[in-house]
Amino acid sequence: MKKRFWAAITAAAMTAVSVAGCGGGSSTAGGAGNTPAAEVPTEPFGDTIKYDPSVAINDGKDITVELWEWGSDELFQQVIDGYTAIHPNVTFKLVNNPWEDYWTKLPLALDGANGPALFNVHNSYHENLINYMAPLDIPTADLETDFTGVEAHVIDDKVYYIDYGMMTGSVYYNKEMWQAAGLTDADIPKTWDEMIEVAKKLTIKEGDQIVQAGLNFNDDFHQNYLLGLNYQLGENLFLEDGKTPNVTSDSMKKVMQMLVDMYQVEGIGSQDFGEKGSDSFGQGQSAMVIQWGHYYNTLNTTWSDIDFGVFEIPTFDGNPYAYNRYNGESTFGINKNAPADQQAVAQDFVKYFLANDDAQIAFCLAMSVFPAKKSLADNEQVLENPSLQVLAEHIDRYIWPGPMPSTMETSLKKAGEDIFFNGVDIDTALNEAQQNIIKDMASSSFESVENLYKYAE
Amino acid sequence: MKRKISSILLNLVLLGLGLITVYPFIWMFLSSFKKNKEIMALHQTLLPQKFIFTNYVTMNSRFNFLRFFANSLFITLAVTVIVIYTSTLCGFVLSKYKFKGRDLLFGFVLSTMMIPWCVTIIPKYSMIQAFGWMDSYAALIIPAMFSGFGIFMMKQHIASIPDEILEAARIDGANEFYIFHRIVFPLAKNGISSIAIFQFLWAWEDYLWPYLVINTQEKQLLSVGLKMFNGQYSTDYGALFAATTISIIPVLLIYLFFQKRFIAGIAASAVKG
Amino acid sequence: MFKKSHPLQSRSEILLRNIVVLIMVVFFTVFLIVPIGIAFAGSFHEWNPLSGTYRFLGIENYLNVFTSQLFGKSMVNTLIFSVVVIVFRVGLGLGIAYAIYSALIKHKSFYRAIYYMPVVTPMVAVAFVWKFMYNPQIGIINQVLGTDINWLKNPQTALLAVMVMTIWKDFGYAVVMYMAGLYSLPGDVMEAAQVDGAKSWQKFLYITLPLLKPMSLFVIITSIISYIQAYVQILIMTEGGPGTATYLASYIIYDEAFVKYNFGYASALSFVLFVITAVFTWLSFRVSGSEG
Repeated sequence: MKKRFWAAITAAAMTAVSVAGCGGGSSTAGGAGNTPAAEVPTEPFGDTIKYDPSVAINDGKDITVELWEWGSDELFQQVIDGYTAIHPNVTFKLVNNPWEDYWTKLPLALDGANGPALFNVHNSYHENLINYMAPLDIPTADLETDFTGVEAHVIDDKVYYIDYGMMTGSVYYNKEMWQAAGLTDADIPKTWDEMIEVAKKLTIKEGDQIVQAGLNFNDDFHQNYLLGLNYQLGENLFLEDGKTPNVTSDSMKKVMQMLVDMYQVEGIGSQDFGEKGSDSFGQGQSAMVIQWGHYYNTLNTTWSDIDFGVFEIPTFDGNPYAYNRYNGESTFGINKNAPADQQAVAQDFVKYFLANDDAQIAFCLAMSVFPAKKSLADNEQVLENPSLQVLAEHIDRYIWPGPMPSTMETSLKKAGEDIFFNGVDIDTALNEAQQNIIKDMASSSFESVENLYKYAE
Repeated sequence: MKRKISSILLNLVLLGLGLITVYPFIWMFLSSFKKNKEIMALHQTLLPQKFIFTNYVTMNSRFNFLRFFANSLFITLAVTVIVIYTSTLCGFVLSKYKFKGRDLLFGFVLSTMMIPWCVTIIPKYSMIQAFGWMDSYAALIIPAMFSGFGIFMMKQHIASIPDEILEAARIDGANEFYIFHRIVFPLAKNGISSIAIFQFLWAWEDYLWPYLVINTQEKQLLSVGLKMFNGQYSTDYGALFAATTISIIPVLLIYLFFQKRFIAGIAASAVKG
Repeated sequence: MFKKSHPLQSRSEILLRNIVVLIMVVFFTVFLIVPIGIAFAGSFHEWNPLSGTYRFLGIENYLNVFTSQLFGKSMVNTLIFSVVVIVFRVGLGLGIAYAIYSALIKHKSFYRAIYYMPVVTPMVAVAFVWKFMYNPQIGIINQVLGTDINWLKNPQTALLAVMVMTIWKDFGYAVVMYMAGLYSLPGDVMEAAQVDGAKSWQKFLYITLPLLKPMSLFVIITSIISYIQAYVQILIMTEGGPGTATYLASYIIYDEAFVKYNFGYASALSFVLFVITAVFTWLSFRVSGSEG
């Protein structure tokens, strides 16, 4: 019997070894194989920020740079391949982490000696990263000439990362249900009142039971409504000091009340029908959802059966202070503690990325974000994407509040759940959210940049 | 006759409970052959409408799944073998030798089982960094070499080995190292099996620690790999279920293989409280 | 009991003893006592490794723990969660183990294997599967029960739903433990288990159960330790919601330490939790009146 025990362990260990062998073989598969080798540019390209491919990097000596990102290997590999075609002496090591855990691990890695030289940034984790980042070599004025929204990223005259694209919310509607309800393109709502009327026509009930919801905002109302519609009413998310949250404002209460009424008075949906708005729309259970740009890709990959259209987010009076909040998809961060030669490559790589229109478009389309690069605002490829096209007309009428700490989202989500599920009244729930946010932000260095909005009053 | 009826009834009850127990697995297993669209579809069917293997095929190209699997197997086996040895050794010394401070030491070992992971994980992380063990298997193996639970189980278990056997060996001139390796170790095999199963399972499942200390993709473990299917905006359920299905096979096999001995091992150690 | 025949210890015994004790002391000092010391010191500081903050606060973190409504609520939840799950784990485990053990069941290892399956499956995957089963529209649970309940979003059912999932995942452990306990019982009790009728029920109650006490204690204590630390199921199934209805103590610690990076406050929470765990463990020893 003892022999069998050890035999089992040895056998298992041997499987381990042989399996490791197989795994190693296929690990080199990347995005590289799919795309035919593009022409290697030799002339400088770009707008104000120009990239000159003829300048050797790291004196032509071999160097390896680590780049961390979450979940989009092929997209990054594409840019890396373009870059290494120009500079074959540079090798990139692409490290993919799952989104949630990326943010636990990256800061800890940057705190150590061997953190990656380049890493993908999401501005919601700004505070955890900014202390480890090196400023960009590119003059701020040049960045401002080529890209929108750069001002908001200036810290003590330096810029550490900017947005390559802007993501925000639009309404996605199910075309089949739209037709079945006798609606046409002329019925596309411009105001919330019209939206509710349309939603009523799209709602189907059997007795008291909803079988098709006109509108579904379950699980994402905090992100897609509460943090954004306040701007339509001319109210900021933060008070003038840029630090105190403003979630107990009358506008916030009005938005919250509208959501509650939509379900409880108008009956165009229910908090118990379709756990997640985004899934429910894909399942063909709800006729309309407000989702951010990334949803366009989700619909095309996961829910390919749904025939959908997109329209601009409704407003209260057709003439809003701003349509909604937007959030930027950020350019890469450079690790200030990385060796100097690696940092030099990293700086060069970011410059290449910013100057290269193909890379900009590829990233914007992959993430479904509106390009921040001004010269691409009317790019055909971009406008072919309906979720971006509906934004084009009023793209300057969206506000970025700055890299808000995540407590804004989580606290408002809790408030909403307390109202919908736990029977708490709106005032109490929002007050509690306000207190929570203040507590969580006590040691935060966040300052709102809402005052940098082009049409700020 | 009455006996037969109660046997059938009891079997039915156990089968019913068993069905409830395995249903989620069946659902998960069958879902691993579905597209995400079908997993979340409004009209659910247990069997896949369209049977696909994509989840299993793409798994490896995207996450180097087999490599994770092999790493996990290696680390888990290494930790399990080491813990078996150290637990048996410490259990032997603590149960068969009498010395000052023995009970204190044992009491301390017992109390280590009560310390929540969250108390020590943060400082442990900084220590591993200071030792320069980040991103190496030393960080996974060395802090796991001794187990309070293992020592506790083995001390209880070895206490049941009669002293006469050891004394007889001593009179024959055997030294303690020989006694431990050639007499105690083989006699403790039931206890060892139970430690092996517990420890294998824990090391196999451990997620947060390997995630924190291992950076390189090629060194990463399976438990961490399972989280890769959790994206920024959505979860790839099909791939997650496929990966899980594969990942539980080794643990199940180990259990099936050793279950008799496992149960006998627990019987001999834990019951004596 | 047989005593050692000669008081003199051999050289090799002393050598082996010294080596083992030394290694144990060094190991547990380095990987347990030192980290605990660091964490304990940290619990008196504002400690954020990312911004490099390490500022002395005195007992402020502890005051915040004890005045935090959320922590109070989460402790109540943790208590309910632990007690209910442990009661069912022990009850189901004992009942099923006894049934399998009885002579009425032939395919013992078949059942043992089935009931043990959830124990070896990673919690992450299991929690996702159950989240699907609890879905109000497409989940099987509403279909089978003929109900229309939004299980994970209703404050009355959310914690219950998580508890049911946890019981399902863990009762197999108790089954195997009690099987082991039953096998180790003396032979006359085994005969008793084979007698049919009310008499065997009484024997179970008055003979078998008391004999299984050490095993029950073992299962209960390991359960207390692991349930007070449970958080993965909450993270995936409810994120503490709706509102804060399903917050468990460990989930707050995870959130404070690895989402908000308040290491100081998280350490203070951990120590409070540690003390509570110790007290409950001690209590279960006392209540059971164990000699151990």
